[in-house]
Amino acid sequence: MKFIPRQPREGINVSDTHPLVEAGTLVAGLTLIFVFIALLLIFLVEIALYFIPVEKEVALFEDWLPEDLITVSPADERLHQAQLLVDRLAFHWADAPYTFRVEIDDSDVANAMALPGGLIIVTEGLLDQVESENELAFVLGHELGHFRNRDHLRALGRGIVLSLFLATTMGNDVSSISVTVTDLTLRGFSRQQESSADEFGLALVYTHYGHVDEAWRLFEKWDNDDRIMPGVVSYTSTHPDAGDRVEKLKDQALREGWPIEGLITGLKW
Amino acid sequence: MESTFYQVLELVLNFGLPFLLLLVAYIVGTMLEKGHFRSIRKRESEYATFPVVTFDTMPDDWSASSSTLVSGSVVISLDYFKRVIAGLRAIVGGRIKTYEPLLERARREAMLRMIEDARRDGYDAIFNVRLETSRLANSRRDGKGTAGVEMLAFGTAVKFASRFARAQ
Repeated sequence: MKFIPRQPREGINVSDTHPLVEAGTLVAGLTLIFVFIALLLIFLVEIALYFIPVEKEVALFEDWLPEDLITVSPADERLHQAQLLVDRLAFHWADAPYTFRVEIDDSDVANAMALPGGLIIVTEGLLDQVESENELAFVLGHELGHFRNRDHLRALGRGIVLSLFLATTMGNDVSSISVTVTDLTLRGFSRQQESSADEFGLALVYTHYGHVDEAWRLFEKWDNDDRIMPGVVSYTSTHPDAGDRVEKLKDQALREGWPIEGLITGLKW
Repeated sequence: MESTFYQVLELVLNFGLPFLLLLVAYIVGTMLEKGHFRSIRKRESEYATFPVVTFDTMPDDWSASSSTLVSGSVVISLDYFKRVIAGLRAIVGGRIKTYEPLLERARREAMLRMIEDARRDGYDAIFNVRLETSRLANSRRDGKGTAGVEMLAFGTAVKFASRFARAQ
């Protein structure tokens, strides 16, 4: 039998697709699929929200506190004053379905959150920056706006379904990336909700004080801080760009004819 | 604005570093792969006339004066780029195109090493050639991830009784 020398033929066992083309196709295709599924999950959360009445939410989360919350002493005067202020503001929200609870979180980052069951968390960092009751009233009113729109459940629901989705699909290899992606996505989604909560909060402040002076002073201050390092900060921050917010609030006050000057109520601590 | 600094740092660490690693792995991996294929092709053309067959018995017209077992093995590892792309491919399924050249290299290199083993001792041909592959080890503690794959080629090398026998 004759032996016919022959070298291995190229292009049989190895696909001639360029690795970068393969990478690009996969990344683009998977991104489309991921976005589609994420949107579908968000839609499902909306449907679920429709079926969870406020009474059920309140019953579920009545005494609930986030595990990582570091609360201040219950005798703290700031806690007492903030609770009083929330109660007074909520008085102007006819038939509010929640009994609001205020807690102060021992954190230096200025922030306020609306959590399920009517829980409002204000950080010490925020209280340190607030200089009048009117400023604080707007922040609290804004959080009440989140409750009215049920954003707090929406955010929680989206956070849960999206992180579950990412955890199941991504596995361990790229999980370090996915965490930040989730954060950015969630923050991106909440911008319209923030504007809507702003409108509601400003209306409450006007109803309570008869004017909207100092309501947005905190944002003006943050806007100035933002200018030191623009771009990245406003993109990653939880709330829309502070400057845009101030503009929108001023427009609203002008449109409604609310006085932008008035008597400032000092802080009682 | 200390927190801003950390936010930027977090972005860079989360997105920049893996991307940089991916880029470096792609460039270095491609260079090494091209170099390896060049070396494989060169040696293959050098040994092209050396008979290597898969018959499990020696062909009738070969008359051998001596025989021995020869083998060639190679251990290869994935680069980060190939692994990430293969990971993405694993979500939807299909041909893992980035692994194909890797295993092709391993097969051909193992064969070449086996031939080199035989030639070094003056053998004239190899029959009953077999290829085997085994997963080497897990690269991670959870049992997932592959540190590398071994490709083993082995066969029976023979010395022909006369140069005439080979010419037939």
